[in-house]
Amino acid sequence: MWVKLVRELGRYDSAVLTGLDAAGYPYSVRCQPDPDAASQTLRVRLAAETPLQPGPASLLCHRHDEVLWNQRSFLARGRLVRQGDAWMFQPTQLVPGIGVEGVKGLVRFVITARRNARRYLAARHLPRPRIPWADINAAKAAARARRAGGQ
Amino acid sequence: MSAASPAPSDLALPPEVAAVFREFRTCEFSTLARDGTPITWPTLAFWEPAPGRFLLSTSIALAQKAFNIRRNPRVALLFSNPTASGLARPPAVLVQGDATAPDEVLTSVRGFEDKLQLVFERQPASGMYSSNRVMRWLFDWYYMRLGIVITPRRIRWWPEGDFLAAPREVEVPGVG
Repeated sequence: MWVKLVRELGRYDSAVLTGLDAAGYPYSVRCQPDPDAASQTLRVRLAAETPLQPGPASLLCHRHDEVLWNQRSFLARGRLVRQGDAWMFQPTQLVPGIGVEGVKGLVRFVITARRNARRYLAARHLPRPRIPWADINAAKAAARARRAGGQ
Repeated sequence: MSAASPAPSDLALPPEVAAVFREFRTCEFSTLARDGTPITWPTLAFWEPAPGRFLLSTSIALAQKAFNIRRNPRVALLFSNPTASGLARPPAVLVQGDATAPDEVLTSVRGFEDKLQLVFERQPASGMYSSNRVMRWLFDWYYMRLGIVITPRRIRWWPEGDFLAAPREVEVPGVG
């Protein structure tokens, strides 16, 4: 996992670190994690008054282009640990997001998504709903017209 | 903290923060897993200034965030990726709040036409999911949505995205 994490991390300029504050709310900051191969942890530099608590945390990297496409992301689950003035993120699990696992991953994603939707509906005894494609396509056409009009 | 939503226009956002809510294409949305780990994924969020809340949605095929919210409503939205926003040196903004995710499968676009159109303007390639019969069969689950409403409790922001500086804070009315 460590090798894969460091390889993926190298594709991004920064990452979003999320831990918990004292009230139990998620608290996120953007940072530049620095891999420490010896301990297989990531050193993160945080502002002195950051209200993050040691404990469960995650690290997200994501990117998209100017038209919100060509997306790529991954999430590392783990723990945030304080060592004196320094903060370390100890990763325990790597969760690939969109764009990481290629075509195979996309196929697996669609199959899993269809199964999850079926199970969600079945658990609630709901029929598979009809989608208002005409309304969706109308919104698409309106967007296309607006882009073509240069607005 | 009070459970009341801010009244219209009670939430006085600095113009640069309002611009971030309006123009950023994604935010980093965090919910809490069963073991307390914050789980963060990039998401589209719509800011509604009048009721002072955010609207999001997720497909029933990707319902984990909704399950997390139903167990623990504490969430956060970080706006820190300015790609495609057109904003020059915008602040980064963190919204912490309480979310609801009712167990109601939404498919109708009535009342959301403007938001759907905005998604297609900003992400034209997503039109492929409804482009022909095969794609509509493969991706119908994508349009079976669960609505998520977030009421802000605390809004902090970092000018020019400098997280090593102390953040500024927007006062959220009604929060003790």
